[in-house]
Order: sequence, then C-alpha cells, then structure tokens
Amino acid sequence: MADFDDDYEDFVDTSIPARSEYELNAGIQDRSNQVRGFVSSGRFAEAVAKALEDPPAGRDAQGAKDKNLQVVMEALAAPRGTDIPVIVKQLAPYQLDTLMKFVYRGMAYPEAFNPSVLLTWHEKVTEVTGLGSIVRVLTDRQTV
Amino acid sequence: MSFPEVHQLLHGIPITCHAFNKDRTQVAVSPNNHEVHIYRKAGTSWTLSQILEEHDKLVTSIDWAPETNKIVSCAQDRNAYVWTLDAASGQWKPQLVLLRINRAATFVRWSPREDKFAVATGSRLIAIAHFDVDNDWYITKHIRKPIRSTVLSIEWHPENILIAAGCADMKARVFSAYVKGIDAKAANPVWGEKLPFGTVCGEFGTTNGGWVHDVAFSPSGNVLAWVGHDGNVSFSYGPQGPVFTALSTGLPLVSLSFVAEDAVVAAGHDCIPFLFKMTGQQWEIVDRIDKGNAKSASTENSAMDMFKKMASRAQTTADVELNSRHQNTITSVRPYLTQGDRVTMFSTSGVDGKLIIWRL
Repeated sequence: MADFDDDYEDFVDTSIPARSEYELNAGIQDRSNQVRGFVSSGRFAEAVAKALEDPPAGRDAQGAKDKNLQVVMEALAAPRGTDIPVIVKQLAPYQLDTLMKFVYRGMAYPEAFNPSVLLTWHEKVTEVTGLGSIVRVLTDRQTV
Repeated sequence: MSFPEVHQLLHGIPITCHAFNKDRTQVAVSPNNHEVHIYRKAGTSWTLSQILEEHDKLVTSIDWAPETNKIVSCAQDRNAYVWTLDAASGQWKPQLVLLRINRAATFVRWSPREDKFAVATGSRLIAIAHFDVDNDWYITKHIRKPIRSTVLSIEWHPENILIAAGCADMKARVFSAYVKGIDAKAANPVWGEKLPFGTVCGEFGTTNGGWVHDVAFSPSGNVLAWVGHDGNVSFSYGPQGPVFTALSTGLPLVSLSFVAEDAVVAAGHDCIPFLFKMTGQQWEIVDRIDKGNAKSASTENSAMDMFKKMASRAQTTADVELNSRHQNTITSVRPYLTQGDRVTMFSTSGVDGKLIIWRL
C-alpha cells in the first residue's frame, strides 16, 4: 500500500510556473505607473481593472505579491464610496473573484490599509456575486 | 400529490444517502449510522419496513440495481455488501465483498448493466467488483494511478465501460473499468479508442481549487460534469474538448445529476437544488428549483408549536426556518423518473432527514 502523504505540495498546481520577484518587478512597476495615471485623471474604473491584471499568485515570489498588493490597494482606495458599486458593475466575474482575493489580503493588514474602504468593496462585490466569490477565495490555492 | 413531495423520514438525524428500487415503491437510506433502513411506500407516506445490519461503521453509500434487484452498500468499516432478496423469507441476505482496502469505502454505484460495481475509497483507489460464478464471490480489481487522495464519488458511463471519479486531490478523472470476460471490446469516440482496464481517459481540475465532490455523465456519456468545493460546476466535452465553468453564486454544491443532455441539477450547502443549462455558448445557472415556501404556511402557530419552540430553543417567536424545503445541506441528488433522455423527476436527501421528490 502506498504511503499517505498529506504534503501541501502534492496538491499545488505545478503546471503553473513559479515566477521570481525579478521577473515580476518590471510588470508591477509598469502597472503601478498606469494605475497612478488613471487615478490622477479620475478614471477609477480603469485604474481598478488595470490593477487586477495578471496578479502574482500561488507559488510566485512573496515579495512581488506584497508590492502588487500596494498597487491594488492604491486603486481601491482612490474612488469615493458612492462610485464603488458603479465600478463593480463594470468588472467581469473573474475580475470580481480576483478583487475579492485582494479585499481579504488587504484586510489582513488593518494598520496599512483602511478596512472600512475594503468592507465597502466586500459588500458591493458580494451583492453581485453572492457568496460564491467568498467561497472561491477560501478554496483557491492561487493566493495573491 | 402535489410537488415537491416532502417526506420527513428521520427526525434530527441526517440521511447520508438514498437509493430507490426500480418501481420507486421502496427506498434504502443510511440514517448516518451502521444500518441500512428500507422504507416502503404506503399510500403517500413511507414506513420503515426493514433494517439491514451487517456493517459496523457508518454506511457511506447505497445503490439499488433496478433489474437484478440487488442492493450494494459500502461503509467506513472498509467493507461492501451485496444484498439479495430471499424470495421465500422476504429477507435481504448479505454477501461480503472483499475490497482489500485499508481506509473507508466512500461511494458505490452499480454499472448500467448491473454486472459490475465500483467502490470509491479512502485508500486512494477505486475498486471495481464483478461476480465470479465459479467461486461464488465478488472479485475486485483496483484502479490506483494517478489517484493521490480519497475518491469521493463515482459515476458510470452509460456504455458500462468507463467510470468518472471525483477525488479529494482536486481532480475529476475518467477511467476505463473494462473487465475481461464481462465486457466486449469497446472504444468510445469521445473518450478513447483503446480502453484497457485502468486507462486514464481524461483528467480535469477545478477552476479555483477545491476538492471534487461529485461527478456526472450526460445521458449520451459525451459530457462530464463535476462540482468542486470552490462552488463551481464545470463541464468537459471529452479529453480534448472544450471545458466550461459555471460560477456558483452561493455555497459549495456537493451533488449533481444530469437531467438532459444540456441540463444539470446540482445541490449542496445552500439547501436548494439549482438548475444549470447550456444556454447558447455557455453553461449557467438558470433557475433555483426550490422557490421557497410561502411564509404564511409556517405562521399558523399552534400552542403545541409554541411549546416545542420554547423547549428546543428557549424562544417562542424566533424565525429560524430557512426559506426552502430542505432545512440543511442536501447530500444527494438522484434521478427519480426518466422519460427517454430526460429526467422529469429527481429526488434529494439531506442532513435534515428529509427525502424530497421534485418535478422539473
């Protein structure tokens, strides 16, 4: 009888290559500049959509994930509360799932990111996706 | 009788699984313990007629072969029994099946021709059993590779050769369960030309991770559907075919069944069966089959009701009822009435001890 290994690594999708911080930095920097550009010209929906593009996830370097989190949080903190539902309506389902992952990641650091803003995002996203997006955040191993 | 038919078989005890006989006059359920209870239809209600006791741990799955009228049950005691009705005494006689496993058996299904059955197990394998006439016992063969965790569900392809398995290693797979001497040489245009025993004909992951709760084949056997704990229902049109994913809007679904080539019923922790359909180019949720109770029905508060509530919850008015027929997780969805290629009625059982028969 085969051994029973409960290794986490067993169930990580190794078909997705792990990217290093070095590989990812340029992309994040580029994205950060574009997001800032959108934010300063008041195009918040585009800023959020841009920030959610190609996030470092899963086995990607933790340093890159941390930097990327800053970019997303900048985009999420920019619009006024009343704009949030409008932006959420413009996002595709897969973008909402990614957004939800960042909302949870951001709420892990209440001293760094304003939790009340994140709670508003959480509320508005759940209104569109139902509990489904929360369930998917809980199960997904491609953590951001 | 109006639909859905709600039968509260057990009070305060979950129904782990259920299986009807061919003419739907009897149903075998596992009341979340080591017994198999057989209920017989009496008018519009069900009465307990027999208790099958042979397992010594929780019975995890039951299947009732319609034509041969045999029941197979499997349990956490690592055994499976095939029960045959003794016509003279009217008693069910068990026959032990040697599964040769060292973990629980989790799921069992007869093949469509009822000459084999498949048992999913926690030993990271699937046991395929068939009857050996010479020795008068069941022989099992194991499918091991590439299973990396407990197998949670099984579904047979209608042609009797292939099986689909949902596994806790986050994969749904299609295997060949071809047994020499029982099956004629077979090839399937969708799943493969050469199908020796154990061939992996397809392997599919869940979109957002999450182990696979249940798998199902469409009536033609050309489409495989599976539900994962990420709440998504995915559909594959063969090993090279396109894969579709329908995002769920609620809690994870744990059981599903095709009701037509382009429609699936799935249910789970939301306590409501949902209808998924292929609409144009995409699979999506089109309906919740349980529209909820009209609240007026539950507002007739009898004095008896009030005291019951006081006794159980120390409250008289609290509204803790869910607005659905099932009051807890649905554990199993199975076809009840099939007309041609369409399932027109299906049954669900749940943790609330209810068995419900729905009309589509």
